Formats: sequence, C-alpha cells, structure tokens
Amino acid sequence: MDMFAKIAWVIPLLPLASFLILTALGRSYRTAGVWIGSIGSLGAFVMSLLVLLERLKPNPVDYSNGFDWITIGDYTLTIGYEVTNLTSLMLVIVTLVGFLVNVYSAGYMKEDERITVFYGYVSLFTFSMLGLVLSDNLLSFYLFWELVGVCSFLLIGFWYARPAAKAAAKKAFIVTRIGDAGLFLAILLLFWYMPEHALGFTMIESVFDNQGGTITEGITTLIALLIFLGAVGKSGQFPLHVWLPDAMEGPTPISALIHAATMVAAGVFLVARTFDIFEASEAAMQTVAYVGAFTAIFAATIALAQNDLKRVLAYSTVSQLGYMMLALGLGSLAGGIFHLFTHAFFKALLFLAAGSVIHAAHTQDVREMGGLGSRMKTTAWTFAIGALALSGIPPLSGFWSKDLILAVALEENLLLFAVALAAAFCTALYMTRLFVLVFLGKPKQAEERTAGAKESPAVMTIPLIVLAALAVAAGFVETPWNGWFGHWLTDGAGEAHGSAIAIVCSVAVGVLGVLAGWAIWGRERGAGEAAATLAGRAPGLVRLAERKYYIDEAYEAVFVRGLRGIGAVLEAFDRYVVGGAVKLAGLAANAAGRLALRLQNGQVQTYSLAAVLGIIVIVLAVIGRRMLS
Amino acid sequence: MSFLQDIPILTFILLSPLLGLAVILLLPGQRAAWIKRTAILATLIPLALSFWLYADYDRAKGGEGYDEAAEWLTIPINNDTNDTVEMLFSFQYALGVDGLSLPLLLLTSIVTAMAAWAAWHVKKRWKAFFGWFMLLELGMLGVFLARDLFLFFIFFEITLVATYFLIGVWGYYNRERAANRFLIYNGIGSAIMLVAFVLLVNTAGFRIEEAAGGHQYIYSGSYADIGANMANPQAFVHLPPEATGGVNPFQMSEGMHWTLFILLLVAFGIKLPVFPFHTWMLKVHQEAPPSVVMIHSGILLKMGAYGLIRFGLFLFPEQAREGATMLAVLGVVNLLYGAILAFRQTEFKLVLAYSSISHMGIVLIGLASFNEIGLQGAVFQLVSHGLISALLFLIVGSLYERTGTTELPRLGGLARSMPFMSGVLLVAGMASLGLPGLSGFVGEFLSLLGLFETKRWLTAAAALGIVLTAVYVLRSVLGITFGPQREEHTALRDARFVEALPMIVLLAFILLLGCFPSALTDTVQMSVGGWMEQLLSSRSGG
Repeated sequence: MDMFAKIAWVIPLLPLASFLILTALGRSYRTAGVWIGSIGSLGAFVMSLLVLLERLKPNPVDYSNGFDWITIGDYTLTIGYEVTNLTSLMLVIVTLVGFLVNVYSAGYMKEDERITVFYGYVSLFTFSMLGLVLSDNLLSFYLFWELVGVCSFLLIGFWYARPAAKAAAKKAFIVTRIGDAGLFLAILLLFWYMPEHALGFTMIESVFDNQGGTITEGITTLIALLIFLGAVGKSGQFPLHVWLPDAMEGPTPISALIHAATMVAAGVFLVARTFDIFEASEAAMQTVAYVGAFTAIFAATIALAQNDLKRVLAYSTVSQLGYMMLALGLGSLAGGIFHLFTHAFFKALLFLAAGSVIHAAHTQDVREMGGLGSRMKTTAWTFAIGALALSGIPPLSGFWSKDLILAVALEENLLLFAVALAAAFCTALYMTRLFVLVFLGKPKQAEERTAGAKESPAVMTIPLIVLAALAVAAGFVETPWNGWFGHWLTDGAGEAHGSAIAIVCSVAVGVLGVLAGWAIWGRERGAGEAAATLAGRAPGLVRLAERKYYIDEAYEAVFVRGLRGIGAVLEAFDRYVVGGAVKLAGLAANAAGRLALRLQNGQVQTYSLAAVLGIIVIVLAVIGRRMLS
Repeated sequence: MSFLQDIPILTFILLSPLLGLAVILLLPGQRAAWIKRTAILATLIPLALSFWLYADYDRAKGGEGYDEAAEWLTIPINNDTNDTVEMLFSFQYALGVDGLSLPLLLLTSIVTAMAAWAAWHVKKRWKAFFGWFMLLELGMLGVFLARDLFLFFIFFEITLVATYFLIGVWGYYNRERAANRFLIYNGIGSAIMLVAFVLLVNTAGFRIEEAAGGHQYIYSGSYADIGANMANPQAFVHLPPEATGGVNPFQMSEGMHWTLFILLLVAFGIKLPVFPFHTWMLKVHQEAPPSVVMIHSGILLKMGAYGLIRFGLFLFPEQAREGATMLAVLGVVNLLYGAILAFRQTEFKLVLAYSSISHMGIVLIGLASFNEIGLQGAVFQLVSHGLISALLFLIVGSLYERTGTTELPRLGGLARSMPFMSGVLLVAGMASLGLPGLSGFVGEFLSLLGLFETKRWLTAAAALGIVLTAVYVLRSVLGITFGPQREEHTALRDARFVEALPMIVLLAFILLLGCFPSALTDTVQMSVGGWMEQLLSSRSGG
C-alpha cells in the first residue's frame, strides 16, 4: 500500500535525468532532444497519475521522508518530500501540462537551432517545479522555488540576442527576487520562533492550528505577510505583477507552461501549503483577499486595451491568479486550488492555441489578424472552448471554479463579491474581443503575411484537443451540488457552497460580457473602428489601461532611477572621501618611505640587519616588560 | 593513528611548492612550456596531499595527531630579579590543522592549482613568474598551517612580497601603481598586526616549564599557549608558589584586551577588506594578471577573515561579543555598499571587485551573529566565495584574451560565439547571487540565519542585499553575454579544452558544496562548537 507515494521522489528525477543527458549531449542531437525531453516528462506524468490514483482511495495517509542536509550543533536543516492530496494533484497538473507542452514544442520549436537547449531548460524547469511541489518543508521549498525562478529567467531570455528578451528576463528575475527576499525572511522568522526550529509543513500546520502556540499574533501576521510577499512576486500579483506580461518574450509554449499553468501557480500553492499560518491571522487573510480582488479587476481592465495577443492572455493570467488569491484570502482553500486546477488547463490551452496562431500568422498583433478561423479550424474551435471556459460560461470548467469563488465571496464580503463580478464581466468582454479580432471577419492589414496561414501540424493540434477536452470536463469534480473535490482536498473540512444568487450572477455577467463584446467588436468586424469609438468616448481611460496605468514608468522613475541616484552619490563618496583619505595615507607613507630610503640600498646585508634589529626590538620589549613588573 | 599521522604530512604539504620552485630554477628560462608544466605538476602535489588529509581528518576528534612542532630558536633573556628562574624567548616551528584551517588549506591548494593551469596568459619571464608563484603558494599554505604567531607572520609577509612582484611585473597597464598601493596598505596592516602579535607574545604567550635547575619561564607565539591563557587566565594561580613567586605572572587588563582586539580588527580588516579600507584592492583587481587575481580574490582576502576569526574571535570572544553590533553594522554596510557600487561600475573587473567587498560583508555578518550557525555560515562563505571569485576571474582572463576589453559597454552578445564560456559565466553569476544548489546560497543563508537570532533589523536590511546582488550580477553578466552580437566579436572562438578544464573543476566544487554542504560544515563543526562552549563557559563563569 502507498507504494507509489513512497517512490514519489523518483518523479522529479526523471526530468532531471533528461536535463543532464541533454546538457551532456550538446545541441547537435535535435530529434533525440525532443524524445529525451518528452520521455522524461511522460514518465513523470505516468508516475504522478499513479500517485494521484492511490490518493483517491478512501482515507489515504500522508507520506513523508527526507534526509539531513546540514547539521550544526543542535540545529538540523532537512530536505524531504511529502505526498498529500494537494501535492499529488499539483504533480498531475504540472506533469500533464509539461508533457503536452513537450509534445507541442516538437512542432513549434522545430526550426530553432537551439531546440535541444530548449528541451534541456524545460526539463530542468519541470524538475524544479516537481521538487517544489513535493517539498515537505519551507527550506527545501525555497531551494526549488529559486530554481524555478531561474528556469523561468532562462526561458524568458531564451532568444537572448533580442534586447527585449534580455530586458524581460532580467526584470522577471529581479522583480520576483523582491518577493523571494520576503519569503527568505519569513523562513528565518519561522526558524527562530518555531518549536525545535522546525520548518516542516506538518509541524507548521499543527503549531498554527493551535493559534500559533507561543507565537504571538503580531509575529504570525508578519510571517504570513512575508510569505505572501513571496507569493505576490511569483504569482504576479499587484504590485509585483509587472514582470509577468513582459515574460511573453519567451517562446509561446513556455508562456503556456510557466507563465500560465504551473510556475505562477507556485505562489498560490505556497499560500495553500502554509494556509494555517494565514488562518491564524485575520489581518493577513484580509490582505490576501483584497490584494487578490484588486489584482483581478486591475489586470482585467488592462487586458481590455492590449493589442498583443499574448499580452492579453498574460494580463488575463494575472487577473485569474487574483481570483485564486481572493478565494484563499476568504478562507476557501478548495476554491483557490479548484480554480488553479481548471485554469491550468484552459489557460495552457489558450496559450498553445495562441502559439499556433502566431506560428501561422507570424505576428502577435491582433490588429493585423482576422479571418483566421476559416483556415485554422482546430485552433479556432479549441481557442473558443478555452475562451468560453475562461469567461465562465456553463458548463465549461471555468464556470464551476469561478462560481465557487463567487459563492464564497457572496457569503463573506459583498464588496469583494462585486469586484469579482466586475472582473468576470471584463474577462468575458476581452476574451470575446480577442476571439473576434483573431478568428472572425476578413483578413486585414499585412495580408501578405497572414495570407499563407494554415492549420498547424498534428503534433501541435493534438495537445490542443486534449487540453480542450479537459477544459470542458475538469470542472465537474466540484459543483454547487457536489463538493467532492473540496471534501477530498481539505480532508472533509470543505463543503459545497451552493448559492443560487451566485450562479445567476455568474452566468449573467459571463453571458453579458460575451454579448457586449460581440456588440462592440463583432458587428463592426474591425478593430480599428471599435477601438476608435471606445477611445472617442473615454480617451483618458482607454489610454490609461493601454499604458498599463503607467506602473512600469512609475517604477522606473522611483526605483531604477532611485538606485542609480544613490549609486552615483556613493560612487562620488567612494572616489573623493574614501579615496581622498587613502591618498593622504599614501602621501604619509611616502614621506616615511623617503626617510627609510637610505636603508633601502638593495643589499641583502642591510635587509638582514633590519630583520635582526626587529627581533631585538621584540626581545627588548619582552625584557622591558619583565623589568617593569 | 592513521598513516598520515605517522608522517609529517603538514610539512610535506607546506614544502611541496619548494620542490616545484627548485625544478623551475634549474630549467632554462626559455623553455616556457616546461616551466609551466612543472608549475602545474608542483601545485598538484599539495592538492593531492591536502585532499588526502581532508579525507583522513577525523571530524569527531579534530586535528589532534597531525600536530608538528620543533624548537627553532631560543633566546635567553637577561634576568636580574629571580635566580631560580631561567627566562627564555622561544621561536618554534609549529604546524597544525583544525576545522577552521583545513577547509581553507584545501581551498588554497585547489585555487592555486587552477590558477597555475590558467596562467597561460603569461607572455614574459616565465621562470620568474612561476618562481614567485610557487613562493606565493608556500606562503599561503604556511599561513593556514602555522601554529605560532611568528611563523604565521613570516608566511603572511611572504605572500605580500610574492604578490607585490607578481602584480608589479606581470600586471596590466597601471600595474606598478597597483602594486605599490597594495604594498603600502598591506604593509600598514602588517605593521599593526606585528604590534598586536608582540603584545600577545609578551602577555598571553607565557608558559612555565620544569627544568633541571628550577623553572623556565618561556615566551613564545604558540597558539596553544596563547589560547589556553586567554581562555583560562587563572591557570597559574594554582601552581606552587616557588614556580610563580607567589604572584600570577599572566595578567591582562581590560584595556589591553580591547587594545589587542581593535588592533587585530584593523590589521585583518584591511586585508578582508572592511569598508572603508577597501580602495586598495580595487586597483589590484583591475591591474593584476588574471591568475594572480584568482588567488588574490580567492585566497588572499580570506587570510584576513581567517586572522579575524583565529585571533580576534577565538582569543577575544568577550570583546568580540560586545563589539558584535558594530561588526554586524560593518557587515551590512559592506554588503550593501559593495552591491550598490558594483551596480555602478562599467568595468567588469571592478564589478567583481566591489562584489568581493559585498560578499565579505556576509562573512562579517556571519561572524557578528555569535552563534554556531552564523560562524559556520561565515566559514562556508569564505570557501564558497574563494571558488566563485576564482572561477569568475578565470573567465575574465579568457574573455580579455579574446576581446581585449572588459569594459561592459564594449561587450555584448557573446553567448552566440562562445556558448560554453557564457554559460559558465552565467552559472558563476548565479552562484554569486546565491542561487540554491550552488555554494553561494549556503554561506549567505547560514550567515543571515545566524544573525537573525539577535539582530532582526540588521538582517532585514541585509536581505535587501539579496535583491541588489541579483541586480548587479544580472546587469553585468547579461550585458556581456546577452543581446545582439557585435560585429567585432563574430570570429571569436569558444574556450579550448585546456581553458575549459579548470572552469569545469571549479564549477564542480561549487555545485558539490551547494548540494552537499555537510561535506564542509561537518569538518568545521568541531572548531566552531569548541569555541561556542568556551564562550558559554566564560560567560557563565564570569
């Protein structure tokens, strides 16, 4: 029994092996690279599935194991893994999307000369993410958390020769590092406050379940907020969301894997994994909920005004992650994770479909697209399914998870409920806009470029079809009438939140959003005109959203310039104040040197004389001291 | 008793560079290839021996059994007051290892061997270069092996002289100014160190031995005597009155404690370097030949930290504890100041120089934490930074050889023509910014974890360094490797195998320590734990 849980540590090692083999082989083995990467991720997926199936049996027991990493005196830092319902679910999400992305990339990256490197990075990423998911304590979680960040950095900057990719990779790393510093400090706090310096999740759960034991509420809140800072960085929540849209400079399959389905979910996963700390602090929960809700509406309005296909999806990701945080902040672990689960499929689907479009149309600007639906039928249909699921149209998966969050919000906080509804409306609106502009109507500008567009090869469309099926079906594990998923995930603590009002509102805003989008962009079948009318009515607002509320500019002005300014001041200080003092000391030494110049005649005898004199001085000092005492 | 304890293994390690030196002196000066091969082979001997020693070292027992000591020179001191007592001044040749010096000894032999391997950039006077190089290795090994203050001092000065010539003759354009500045600053440091040492020998270096005609009063620089006296100043009180004349011969006032502690702090602080004594090493980083900078940044700076721990912390734990806040502040200042200035530099070598200042700040932070975790972190950071900075300067040497510049604005896009070297540079950069899985993380994590126990706000300020380090590392590394390829660089070739080999070796150690830190921490533990016990007992005792 629990056989697969016991060997769960093998799961991350499979993609690690792929990475090592690919790195050793070098970039000449192109086809082999695809196979090695795909087989590693397929193996990991199969094993993860077995672990999950094992967990579906009644009353599964959590299993954990590990080894001592560093022992210093009485302190021990360990690295270990743990299989729980939550981790087994994450394992399957990560490996399934990872495997499909591997397959898809065989087509998408076919022409790239560094395809082997690409597969190596993807394998390394999968390893890191699986290690993160399996970690049984915060320290090993942090190790993999950082590795995941580096893999993301490498893949965003995959096309390193492009200045935009370079800037985006750097930005992603540094912005998320701000969050990491928070998580780092949270770990230090926990280490010194937890009984026996334990960092294990099980231990954290038992301590904070008990009102934090000896840990005061202030410290609990501080720990929770610092952990949340880490999650804000990784999951692209306001105000550290700025890196995620720029991360679209990476190859599109990566956007699907990392920046939609898995890595960005790590922040949500972190909050879920340390949920007991948050539950012990009302202030922290409120913060999570409000930051989540604000991010949801804030990013959704930006998505409305963007013209880059991938950027719209990126802001949509930020917005949906906000929903997950909102659910967690309102105390619904099941709601947050359920949305993570469904979102992983339909957002991966949308990105891969977008990749298929970009692959065919050779542009990312939606204003240059149009009419692609007739030429790319599979892509168009699957994209439509993803878009409807994201918009929360029943009975697709996104509807059920969003409905759960709305139902919880309705119970807990009406203001947040209203914000979430508004964001849901925007979501339906921008997805409709996107679908209309890309697939319907007649081909527009840049005809010669999009004219040759045709359906992508099967290796790319089959993953789309699989994901589309999941986007349709994945929601049925948890419905307002059957809380099976929440029950399973939280060990019976969760219950179904059936609310007729929430369902009606949720369906209404979804359908209204789609209809409104159709009314604005569908009738005219022309982006330019629609944008013009919108901009004509509220030019300031549209411009504000288009420019992403000038957040990037503000950060540039405050932080980047600020750091440069401090640097300039300190550099002057280093050169003139510290350096000046050195010059003075140098002059003094020179003067002393001139005095001693007569001794330095280059003769060995003189030097040995000096040495003997030195020894005599020492001996005299000893004697002198004796005589004094 | 292991085999290594039966033979004078420490002397073998110490003197093995002399073997290389002798062969090099015998070779004709034009045979560059032969000289170079001899030098590499000669560095492999201490490398192999110190690895053997590291494996042989019993972590539970510490370094006992390896000690070697011999009387070198005794000078009788004129004594009018007491006829029954003979007073002597003793110089001894004493070697030994413990958990603090052994890792640094191994680091020295690794980095020196890699630097010798990388010294193909030397274009003139090979014989003299490798001669000084061997002498430098002798000095560095001696500094970590010595168990007597004067022996330590002599080896320390050997490294100064050797480095001075290596920079002044084989450096870049402004080499002579850099060498002079190096000598002036380190000379001042040495002078202060010497004063402190003389004072120490005069006070704590005292021991009484039974002799034929009565008792011998012996003054020496023996670490064992000094350590024992400092730890237990009342030891002589229990001796019979005829031995001590009824008074305690070892007295050290509170003021003398502080004087010595501050002298040691300044002497080794210059070497480390601690802000504001850091400017001398900027020029050295910029002007010294690559293999010498590898050693300078990789090992010589560590001698400062070693002295600080060995003499400052271990002998004056009470003073150090009272000065811990100051040490921590200095550490945080080093860390942030170095990081911000590294961000400003347009010359890659200066970025790395300021980066060294920043990383030495982490060492200070670890020391200031005053617990086992922090001290372990400081030692780990020493070894880790030694490997990482050696690797970075190895790459710098190879880059300069190809592009003729290390100015960031004139570099860019090198990943296209040199994927291997760019990859190694990126990994080294990641190690430098503390990516888990590489050695830099462990030192940083343990140091901050240690400091956090008592100094929350300073640790929080230090955490800012985590972000700033990422900023300057990525700025410079991506500036060199990412971006569009420049026209003048299209024909550049990637690393040859001989160049790649030392990079791979250093990288392997960085990875090893990052993944299995206990390979190092378990060795250090004995020494650190012993010091903690001493500190705790002295606290409870007085």
